[in-house]
Amino acid sequence: MPIVAVDDAGDTVRLAAPATRIVSLIPATTELLFALGLGGQVVGRTTWCDYPAAASQVPNLGDGLQPNLEAIVAARPDLVVLYNSLQNVAAAARLRAQQIPTVLVNTDRLVDVPRLARLLAPLGGRAEAGDSLARQFELELDRAAVPGTGPRQAVLILAWDQPPIVIGAGSFLSELVSRAGARNAFDDLAAASAPVSLEAIASRAIDAVLVLGDSVPAFARRAEWQSVEAVRAHRFVYVPAALFSRPSPRSAAALRVLAAALRAGPRP
Amino acid sequence: MTARQWSVLLAVALLAVIAGVLVGAVNISWQGIGGALTGNDVGEAALIRHLRIPRVLLAFLVGGALSVAGASLQALVRNPLADPYLVGLSGGAGLGAVLAIALHVGGPWAVPLAAFAGSLGAVAIVYRLSVVAGRRLDPHILLLGGVVVGAFAGSLMSAVITLASAAELRSAILWLLGGFGMASWPAVAVFATYAVIPLALLLGSARGLDLLTLGEENAQHLGADVEVLKRRVYLSVAALTGAAVAVSGIIGFVGLVVPHVMRRWGGPLHRQLLPAAFLAGGAFLVLSDLLARSLFRPLELPVGVVTALIGVPVFALQLRKSLR
Repeated sequence: MPIVAVDDAGDTVRLAAPATRIVSLIPATTELLFALGLGGQVVGRTTWCDYPAAASQVPNLGDGLQPNLEAIVAARPDLVVLYNSLQNVAAAARLRAQQIPTVLVNTDRLVDVPRLARLLAPLGGRAEAGDSLARQFELELDRAAVPGTGPRQAVLILAWDQPPIVIGAGSFLSELVSRAGARNAFDDLAAASAPVSLEAIASRAIDAVLVLGDSVPAFARRAEWQSVEAVRAHRFVYVPAALFSRPSPRSAAALRVLAAALRAGPRP
Repeated sequence: MTARQWSVLLAVALLAVIAGVLVGAVNISWQGIGGALTGNDVGEAALIRHLRIPRVLLAFLVGGALSVAGASLQALVRNPLADPYLVGLSGGAGLGAVLAIALHVGGPWAVPLAAFAGSLGAVAIVYRLSVVAGRRLDPHILLLGGVVVGAFAGSLMSAVITLASAAELRSAILWLLGGFGMASWPAVAVFATYAVIPLALLLGSARGLDLLTLGEENAQHLGADVEVLKRRVYLSVAALTGAAVAVSGIIGFVGLVVPHVMRRWGGPLHRQLLPAAFLAGGAFLVLSDLLARSLFRPLELPVGVVTALIGVPVFALQLRKSLR
């Protein structure tokens, strides 16, 4: 009985038997495969696959942005997981031409975690683990959510400071902030991130600046950033960067940490 | 240039600056501007004082500096296609900036200083290549040397970008596209103070540049100390452009298109061309930046994209006219 799945590019992938050698070139899917109990089947990962610690034992096949096809083929995979980007569509076509089943997936939103658990687990022969992880994740996320009562505090999330790039509504970070009872100050931008004018940041009411890390960010010392009241007043809310690097089964824990940090308020 | 042409140019420059202050990512009121001018330091007034005005001034200074540098360089190498970035500067500056980003060099001025150091390094190599037999500065080798040193630095830069991690890669590329997002009063003050000397040196070389366009031998016969002149012009152009890259990244077409247009409009005499190019270049970059930050607000386009989108059609029209 073949295993059939439709990936995020709309292509149908058929496996005659559960995959036993999986190359995962997205940190989010590598983490997910380990969480599904499929870590032992992962035979290739990217430079950025840093969780769980056991993932570092898996051979590193490069940065994953431009997949190294030779390295992938040499790993003799029976399933390859790639990010659903334009250049990876071509890479997937070439891998499929070599009879290597390949799935293209999006890993941008919180909803992608349970969705991909249900998509990938059956391909590795652990359909029930996928279902249970997905249900558990959704339950935990609901429990950690803070219902917004009254005015929500506006949180600035920066992807970069020079030039200023903010996180928009399309990012899971924006979703986490709104589930934590606050709101992304730039949730009117649909993209996951976008370069904006510093003026636009300075003119918006911002109650807190989310910092992925534990120290005052370097841009807070720059002259032009003093025009942003929340930066000048050091209204920073600090959260550990590692929990917030990608949507993952740990995102429920990230939500609890974020909600607590926002409740405690900025610490200068 | 006639007095009427000067008044038109001054009016355009002034209007560009006023428009630059009035229009931006955020709509502002006349009260806000009044507040900013009277020393009010909260809300809208603070935004105008600390973000909008320094940004407009920096764009004007950089546009003016790049145009003067372009006009001078075109006379020096007797090639109307010379762009100040062609002398290897952009590659060197880019390499410096990307290295600073990839190596996580700290401090608010790390990237601009690294870009400046990189451009000076490239200039030094090109200069060394061009001073053949230790005596003459050969303008042709200057151009060729600039192109190859720039290409070499550019390749090293691509290698660093490829080897650096993803977030840094993106920011390095965005930084290279150029812009005035980091404009602040200290940046304006540093650039304005710094640019005075090379600008004065170039203006003082105006007659020499006129003579140079007749050819080096003729210039020598007419009394110009050609070797001193060439070195002074080249190093001033490099110093101006390097500083411009440091505060705003690489913004193309200003130094190429503006001198062309002004030469056709106001004549080729450098005593007039250089100040005219300064005003026109400043106005052009202020207006380009105005479009960059307000067309798709709150999103911001790289200003180099706007200068190219305006500059290329203008340049093409000029080429057609000059063929007639």
